[in-house]
Formats: sequence, C-alpha cells, structure tokens
Amino acid sequence: MGDAVFSVFGSSHVLPNKKSLCNTVLWGRFTRQLNKIVPTHRMEGRRDGLLFWLISLIVLSGAWRVVLPLNSAAWWPYVILIFTSVGFQEATRLMFWKLYKRLEVILDAFAEEKFRSRLSWTDKMQIALAGGLGHGVAHAVFFCVSLLTPSFGPATYFVDRCSRIPFFLVSAIISLVFVIIHTFSMIIAFNGYADGRKVDQVVVPVVHILAAVMTLMNLAPGGCSIGVPLLCCVGAITMYYCWQMVWRKLTEHGRRQRNASEIHIS
Amino acid sequence: MEQSILDSLGVEIIGVMSPVSICMLLVVLLVSTLSPSSISSFESSAASATTAATLVYAESPSDPPARRFVGALLNAAAFVALVAVVTTLLVVLYYYRFTGFLRNYVRFSAFFVIASMGGSILLTVLRALSLPLDAVTAMILLLNLSAIGVPAVLSAAVPILLRQAYLVALAVIVAAWFSRLPEWTTWTLLVALALYDLAAVLCPRGPLRVLVELASSREEELPALVYESRPAGSSVSHAMAAFGSVELQPVETTTPNPTISTQNPDPGPRIIEVHRNEEETSPLMSNEPNNSDTGNVHQPYIATMRGRDVESNQDPSSSSSLMPTSESEEFDTSRGIRLGLGDFVFYSVLVGRAAMYDLMTVYACYLAIIAGLACTLILLSICRHALPALPISIALGVGFYFLTRLLLEPFVVGASTNLVMF
Repeated sequence: MGDAVFSVFGSSHVLPNKKSLCNTVLWGRFTRQLNKIVPTHRMEGRRDGLLFWLISLIVLSGAWRVVLPLNSAAWWPYVILIFTSVGFQEATRLMFWKLYKRLEVILDAFAEEKFRSRLSWTDKMQIALAGGLGHGVAHAVFFCVSLLTPSFGPATYFVDRCSRIPFFLVSAIISLVFVIIHTFSMIIAFNGYADGRKVDQVVVPVVHILAAVMTLMNLAPGGCSIGVPLLCCVGAITMYYCWQMVWRKLTEHGRRQRNASEIHIS
Repeated sequence: MEQSILDSLGVEIIGVMSPVSICMLLVVLLVSTLSPSSISSFESSAASATTAATLVYAESPSDPPARRFVGALLNAAAFVALVAVVTTLLVVLYYYRFTGFLRNYVRFSAFFVIASMGGSILLTVLRALSLPLDAVTAMILLLNLSAIGVPAVLSAAVPILLRQAYLVALAVIVAAWFSRLPEWTTWTLLVALALYDLAAVLCPRGPLRVLVELASSREEELPALVYESRPAGSSVSHAMAAFGSVELQPVETTTPNPTISTQNPDPGPRIIEVHRNEEETSPLMSNEPNNSDTGNVHQPYIATMRGRDVESNQDPSSSSSLMPTSESEEFDTSRGIRLGLGDFVFYSVLVGRAAMYDLMTVYACYLAIIAGLACTLILLSICRHALPALPISIALGVGFYFLTRLLLEPFVVGASTNLVMF
C-alpha cells in the first residue's frame, strides 16, 4: 500500500520522520482520487442491483402465478412460497456475485491504469453495500411503498390478524428491518465469497430464511406482536455480525499496512 | 480505452439521467394529481378531442378488446404515417434552406406550447389543488413565462440551467397532454413510435438519417430540440459552449388539419432552427477537460459527430401533425451527452400511463427505462454514430409494465397484505 502511494505522488514526497502523518495525508489524497470512480460505479451498482432483484422477483412471481391467489386461511402454501422465494433470491445473490467478480476485473484494470493501484477493500465493501442497498430498496418499494397509495386519505387500514397497529406502520417496520438485513447480508456474503469463509456464506441464507419464517408468524391472529420484535432482533443480529466482520478486517488491514510500511522503511 | 469511456460515461450518464428522472417524476405527479379529480373532464376532452392520434378510431371503454386492439393499431399506424410525412417535409425544408421561416416558426410554437398547453395544465392544477390565484396574476405569470421560454430554448446567451429547465418543462407539458390519450392507443403508439424511430435513424433512406447526413455534409448543427447536459467541472468549456450550444429546435410543420376540433388549439409545430457556430470547432477541439487519452480518442469523433445530432421533437399538440422524434445522442466529452426532447416526452408518457395503474408499475417502468437509457448510452460510446434512444427503453418499459401488472402484483400484494414478506 505504501509503495503504491509513493509511486503515484512521485519522489517529491519524501518520507519524513513523522511517517504516520505523511502516510495518512497521502492516503487521504489517494483515496479521494480513487473515490471518483467508485461513486459512479456505486450508483450504477445500486441501480443495477435494483433491476436485478426486480427481475428475480418477476421471474419468481411468474412461476407462482398459476397458484395465486392463495387462500389466506391455510398457512402451508405460504411456507412453500417463502422457501422457494428465499432459495431463488439466494441463488440470484450468487449470480450477482459472479457478475460482480467480472466487473471487478475491469475496474481493477482501470484503476491500475489510471491510479497505479487496485481497488482497495473499502471500495469493494462500498460496492457490496450499494448492491445490498439495491436489494433492500427493491424489497421496500415493492412490498411496502407501492401499497401506500390508500394511506393518503383521512383514515387508515388495519389487518384483522394484527389489529393493534395500522397496516402501514407494521409493513413499514418490517420493510425497514428487511432493508437492514438485505444490506448487511450482501456485505457479509460478498466478503464470505471473497475470502472463502464458509461461515459467512452459510450465515446469509440462514438469516434470510429465519427472517422470512418469522413473518409467517404474522399469519396467526395476534402473531405480529411476537413476530415483529423477533424480526427486529434478527436485524440487529445481522448488523452486529457485519460490524464484527468489518472490524476484524479493519484491524487486519491496519496491521498489514503497518508491517508493509515498516518493511519499506527498513 | 473502454474503461476510460466507462468512467467518463458515468458522470455524463448521471447528467442525462437526472433530467429524465425529474421529467418523469413531474409527469407522474401531474398525472396522479389531475386524473382522479378531473377524470370526467379528462374523458370528455379525450373523447371530443380529435387528436392526431385518435383520427381513425376513438376508443371508448365499452368496446370489446378485439375492436379496441385493432382500432389502437390503426390509430398508431395513422399517427406514425403523419409523423413520417412531417419529417419528410422538414427534410425538404431544410434542404432548401428555409431557415428564417423555420426559426420564426419555432419561436411561435415554443411560445404557443407553453402558453396554451401549459396554461391549460396550469388551470387544471389550480382547480384540482384549489390554489388561490386570481385570473389576472395567472395570465401575467403565464405570459411572462412563455415569453422567457422563447429565447431560453433558442439563444445561446441564456444560462444553461434556464434552458435545461425550459426544455424539461416543455417535455412535461407535452407528455402530460399525451397521457390523456386512451390506454390501448397509448401503448400501441409507444411501440409503433419506437419501431419507427429505429427505422428512421438506422435505415439508409430513413428521413432522420437523411437529415443527419445533410447536416453533417453542410457541417451545421442539426435542427432539433435537444437537451444537452454539460459535463461537470468544465468551466472553460462552459464559456466556449456559450457559443457552441446546440440550439436545435424541433421542427414541426403545422399542416393544418381540417378535422381539428376547436378544443385543442394547436400550438403548432415547432420550428427547427439551425445554428451554425464556427467558433465551436476550435474551442471544442482544444478543450478537453478530461485526460488526454479520451481527448485523442474523441477529437476526430467530435469533428464529424457535431453535425450528426439528430433530434426532432414532437409537438405534443394533439391536433397538429408531429415531427417524429428521434433520439440520437451524441457522445461528446467536451459538450456532454445530448438527448432529444422527444425521448423525454415518450419516456414520461410511458411512466405517466404506468402511474395511472399503480405505484409498483411506475417504479418498475422507471427502472426499466433508466436501464435501457444506460444501455443505449453505452452502445453509443461503442458505435459512435447517431442512435435511436427510444427502442430499447420503450421495449423494456412496456415489457416490464405488463410483466409487473400481470405477474408481480398479485404475487407481492397477496403476500404483503398478509404481512408475509421475504
């Protein structure tokens, strides 16, 4: 990392004694330059992510169209629905990862050519974040926002099985939790695939299915008062797990950078 | 080199996506504000208005689907034929260099579109929202806005933001008028226009291609209404670009249509205006805000491409014949991407029509159109010649609309109203 920075800014930047300060200054300027390409690709990553999940939802709904509308009294069709949907979405996530790998090759080559360094791990995290946000926002829009039109009038709606809270509030809370879950799962998944850690790769589908199954509890009368808080717990757990992972990577890279710069000096 | 193109494309894509998104948003807002409250006036005006698009068959909801489909096809065919005729007329006029006439005509029609069609929309909005604005003030405001609009879309001396705002406003007004068409007619019309656009720009004898070649052989700017997005941060090019702005206005020859009903005063075709700016060449060539790699690639490109900006806009006036719009975009690093106003109009018409059904379809169509636009821009950077911007986006948009409406909605609504989400 250190030598890349110096090669970019030329020999005029002599390493002073206060090497940590110099490093941080040069690192800041370098990342600001690299951040110019990443934001546009982040935005496009988010938009492409949105389109991707929309297409996957459409394919899924196409497959289920013949059976709909489901009789809402029976709960087992919903179980099948959820398992197939979650399975399909996880498969889509894997495809998204493969696509991203190819894009990463292009981006790395470009960064190599322009800035003489590759994409850093923070940039990759940011792209994963954008993809996850795309997934989350797609979920939120299609499951919550598009149903908000009846709420513009003076009254509100309640669902029979969850008669204590207005429908819009419940669906908004659930969508919020799902946005969090999807966003952070994408980061965890991408890091898991990149590092090859099986734990991370397995955690993501498990969390997804867990969250989806918890919404099944809403089918029982009064079930949403148990289901929704539990769902928030799952969201919090995902956030915590992601935080742990990022913290671990941060300390790892910080240690590596310090070792590299020490080697460079000596 | 592809990567550097991708990178600079990224900034410019945003520069083009934002006005398209703003235009679509405004049209969706207008359509959703106006349609429930004044649905009766809509239906009546749509029924009584003999628009160019409903010449053959006036759709009414009570007809059986087969008849509606056939009628819509006939409507679309008639409309596209009209548009083709007008474009050919435009090419002929341009060939014989009637630029003075065209210029004045554009001035007149720009004023008229904003004043009359914009005025009628203003009236319906005021009525729907019960805004307290008296007639005199409204009249003064409207006249002033239209008067400023005339030089804003024409001359180079106006600040770029104002010109962009007026172009977007024009597109919104036109699209709002177009979304008053009956449903089946709208969809078939969109598809037919996308196909026509494909043919007109890519076929060797297509009118738009002929126009492009004429303009490039004379080394003039093409006459059309174009939205131009300046690249960010190029302050030098801003100054130069003041001379070299593309003042293309859509030409629409007003062929007086004897069946025009009095309820739709036709703002008239817009005039195509050709500006030539020799100063453009040298500033553009030397003015490469990006790195030298892209500069070298684009310099020869710029010289040949400047003339090939084809854009004709459509006059949304319901009773006038329209100029077909084609959107060919030109990728020019020092001047930003240019997108024809007709593209804005038809994207917004699609989204507006989707808004009449549900928010979910709006979002799906919006995503589809933006993705199509991005694909077209990428294709443009690969192909390097005038390309139609309608086909891909309209195809994706229409496809996604029907897929969402038929497949996604029952699925998602059924699940989420039972609070089962995944």
